[in-house]
Amino acid sequence: MKILIVDDSSTMRRIIINTLSRIGYTDVVEGENGKSGLEKLGQGGVEMIITDWNMPEMDGLEFVKTVRGQNAGIPILMVTTNAAKEDIVEALQAGVNNYVVKPFTPETLKEKIESLLG
Amino acid sequence: MDQSEIDALLAGGGKTPKKPKAAAKAPVADPVPAPPAAPVQAEPHKDGSGHVISELDTVTSVTERESNKVMDQLDQISQLVARQQQLVTEMMRHEGAQSQGVQKAIHEVMSASKEIQDKVFEAMDLMQFQDITRQKLERIVHHLRQIHDYIVDLLGTGLKSDAERPSISHTIAQTGTTPDENKAHADAVIEAFKSQKKG
Repeated sequence: MKILIVDDSSTMRRIIINTLSRIGYTDVVEGENGKSGLEKLGQGGVEMIITDWNMPEMDGLEFVKTVRGQNAGIPILMVTTNAAKEDIVEALQAGVNNYVVKPFTPETLKEKIESLLG
Repeated sequence: MDQSEIDALLAGGGKTPKKPKAAAKAPVADPVPAPPAAPVQAEPHKDGSGHVISELDTVTSVTERESNKVMDQLDQISQLVARQQQLVTEMMRHEGAQSQGVQKAIHEVMSASKEIQDKVFEAMDLMQFQDITRQKLERIVHHLRQIHDYIVDLLGTGLKSDAERPSISHTIAQTGTTPDENKAHADAVIEAFKSQKKG
């Protein structure tokens, strides 16, 4: 399964990639903002997206809305520092399937990924 | 942080940079030398606000780069531990290692090795603090810009701050540094949203 990780922090992308490899997902592509995320998505083969919210050029919310305009079915997990209730609701309304607030444990990421794929 | 970065941080401050404490220590051999760091330059500033903002931008760039160096080291430890586990597994099959005492000792080594691996992964996960701190700094910069522009408007003189990074967190007050401290809250909002949608 190919997973697209979109986050402007290279440290954060590494942490997510490490966590994914520990739970058996090693096929990963990376984008550093929504714009590059769309480019990677356009290359094909991506079956799941993990995206941050606050990013330059194109933020995670705009990215999710654009993806949903093209692909209604792909599972999207948002991983962000935004913890306010209205932010979570806004992300869900935009088309996010599940939501994780940073900092997270590997167990939580695993649980959320499995629930999306289950 | 190297001297060029310290100089960049202090640019315009009129102070002589102090020699970092680490420089006084005897050099420690690094098994895998890191590539030379590219100097992070503070952007030229038009006014006081721009200077503070560029300093904070420099701080976040430096911390991200240094965090990645720590991650590199942790990756290497992880690979070395994996290699050690492989060697110990091979040792267990050796005919000279079949006595009960040796097997027990080997199992203890394997157990300790797994503990090291777990701690390395835990340390990697804790590096999330860098991203959270960066976003907190961005929030501070946002408030500084607002104060600066307000004063410029009030006095009718000076330059307004440059364009802001387009997407910063709305509020960082609820974001802590303990892993999963907002999980129950987020899950409850998700559940309520899904129930409402179904209903």
